[in-house]
Amino acid sequence: MALDRKIAYVNLTTGDIEIKPIPLSIRKRFLGGRGLDAYLLYNHAPKGVDPMSPDNPLIISAGLLVATCASASARTHVMAKSPLTGLLGSTNMGGFFAPELAWAGFHHLVVTGKAKKPSYLFVHDGTIEILDASDLWGKTTTETQWAIREALGDDEIKSLVIGPAGENLVRFANVMTGIKNSGGRTGMGCVMGAKNLKAVAARGTMDIKIAHPMEALEFNKRFIDQITSAKVNQTQGTLGTPFIWGATNCWGGLRTRNFQYNQLEYADDIEPEHLDEIATETIGPHHMTGCFGCQVHCRAQYRIPSGPYAGRYDEGPEYTSLGAFGAEPGCTSAETVLTGNHLVNQFGMDNLETGSMISWAMELFEEGILSEKDTDGLDLRFGNDAALLEMVERICYRKGWLGDVLADGGIPAAEKIGKGAFDYLIQVKGMNNLHSDERATPALALNIATASRGSDHLRSRPAIDLYHLPEEVLRKIYGTPIPYKGPLSSEHTAYEGKAWMVFWQENCYMAVDCLGICKYHTTFLGATLPNFEDWPKAIYYNTGLEFSPEELWTIAERCNMIERMYNLREGLTRNDLKKGDTLNHRYFDEPCKKGAPDVIGMSIDREKFEKMLNEFYEYKGLDKNGRPKAATLKRLGLEKEPSRLL
Amino acid sequence: MPMENAKQSAAESLRKTRTFGKVRCHNPSCMGRIQPEPGARRVKCPTCGMEYRLYWVNPTLPRIRGPVWDVNKEIAAKTFAEKEAAGRIAGKKKGGK
Repeated sequence: MALDRKIAYVNLTTGDIEIKPIPLSIRKRFLGGRGLDAYLLYNHAPKGVDPMSPDNPLIISAGLLVATCASASARTHVMAKSPLTGLLGSTNMGGFFAPELAWAGFHHLVVTGKAKKPSYLFVHDGTIEILDASDLWGKTTTETQWAIREALGDDEIKSLVIGPAGENLVRFANVMTGIKNSGGRTGMGCVMGAKNLKAVAARGTMDIKIAHPMEALEFNKRFIDQITSAKVNQTQGTLGTPFIWGATNCWGGLRTRNFQYNQLEYADDIEPEHLDEIATETIGPHHMTGCFGCQVHCRAQYRIPSGPYAGRYDEGPEYTSLGAFGAEPGCTSAETVLTGNHLVNQFGMDNLETGSMISWAMELFEEGILSEKDTDGLDLRFGNDAALLEMVERICYRKGWLGDVLADGGIPAAEKIGKGAFDYLIQVKGMNNLHSDERATPALALNIATASRGSDHLRSRPAIDLYHLPEEVLRKIYGTPIPYKGPLSSEHTAYEGKAWMVFWQENCYMAVDCLGICKYHTTFLGATLPNFEDWPKAIYYNTGLEFSPEELWTIAERCNMIERMYNLREGLTRNDLKKGDTLNHRYFDEPCKKGAPDVIGMSIDREKFEKMLNEFYEYKGLDKNGRPKAATLKRLGLEKEPSRLL
Repeated sequence: MPMENAKQSAAESLRKTRTFGKVRCHNPSCMGRIQPEPGARRVKCPTCGMEYRLYWVNPTLPRIRGPVWDVNKEIAAKTFAEKEAAGRIAGKKKGGK
């Protein structure tokens, strides 16, 4: 049974390993995956712990439905205190690792301590070993994975690894599995590096008994039909996530040159359709592949066509790499985007944060805040492709003054650079924004301001707000499973009703993250994809657990609230530019200059934004300072946390 | 089996709202549905004049690949100038406060 999967506590300092069952009572309150990880972090992380300290617990998990008969149930989640933000660290990735972890008998690993020498965990069929990783240290992410398979003599081993960036404690180092599946955000690779933990390898042959197998398969056929018939997924299966980049660039919603512009003009060379045309690696009519149990296949494959890395194979680029190595640094070359994507994948470094940090430095350079002395002679102007790629390597290996400074993340770097550099940094809670520009989309602006892990599009973004859907369609989506009678607007430049949409999406995304299902299989980019009414069936048939849609909603609320409680304990305050639910002043002060006629001239209205934030707090049951009311904690059963039940 | 299976969920019921063979204009104030000729490489929005390059995922599923830059840039530049002259572009602060 999925419910039989265990939790293991691994202390790298002492070598102690303790394995426990996960009580059903905890499952019913937090499900699994990200939600249960948040419970564990709140209960096991000492208040104010240094993220680099051995006491910072690193939590790795597979969602509740991983490796069952539910489609796209492949998600791994990793959580710890973030070395980038000092708040909640949380990252989610696809691929094949999570199913292997589940087949090996585990859903959650809690890793504390610090190994005396480079080490890795080998999780297999109910047991865990701590093995020597001295020979792996220094290797790239793919080299590490292949070396583990060779050392252990099993090509079916799936590993979650760090690259040189994690070893060098780059505060936005990621964890990787496969060629490009990345747990990119909030620096979880840095936490692994601080623990001398190079990898977690998994191999399992333990069956997962399905509660009602025939019904589970039958229902999943319906689920698959719903997924594959969606236009958005047919497009993703052809072009991958970059299709969003093309559409967004069209109307002027793309962060360009560190927020100076909102559109990268004449970017035809890096449009996904062109990348498809030049890709030579292919397994079908297009160059796409997919994660475990997924029918969408949104992951592109390619070989770099030219330049010093010509011929190297990689996967992607995702939307974020088109932003990181295209629009943000003002580069329009496919070779540069494909090479930048390859480098961060191999180094194990968050593409989004890397591109944002370099683009921020480019603006500082053009403004005279950074000089050629600071860059060791590098001409760090926008549009300099070679300088961009050089900086990727300098950050990974902390080469030169600027490479070392940027590797520490935006807020510490701004303090070291001084001269008002912080004002140019497009971040929330210390994490850079996605390469999108939210000045014309108040709902999306509220989403990034309030996301629990810092500026982020995968925590509460009502992306379908951009589709101009009729109000009756919006009511059907946002009025289920909890009735909602307030305003809803089809107009994405409006402020009315957006707080509820963000609140709804926050709970929707938490639920899929608990279940271990990919967001492309829910109401993220497509309005007709499964959500609260569909999941209880998948949960029941696969695990035997019974929930109503309303109960699932409440669980998601509870999980979101415990993340909020963690952030509050670590210093979140409403209007703090470094740790709060607010935006850089440029959102309010600098209007959009490019794009569609209606977008030009738009910026976020501060007063309306604050009103929207107040409404959002009310829906969540928070007071005006963003702290949970006593009645809210009682309603969600969180008034006695930390309860230390697991 | 205690689960109610026959009833469609809200998400499933919305499948009937899908449209094929059309794209939406990417101009936020317009968002009109445009029906290009099958296989067409370009399409112009009859309402607002924005012009787009097209990509066909399959014969019934066109997507906007990108703008026709010269056409849309001209519209954007004209709009910017009009809004600026009318004082509707508030604040031009750049970077530092």
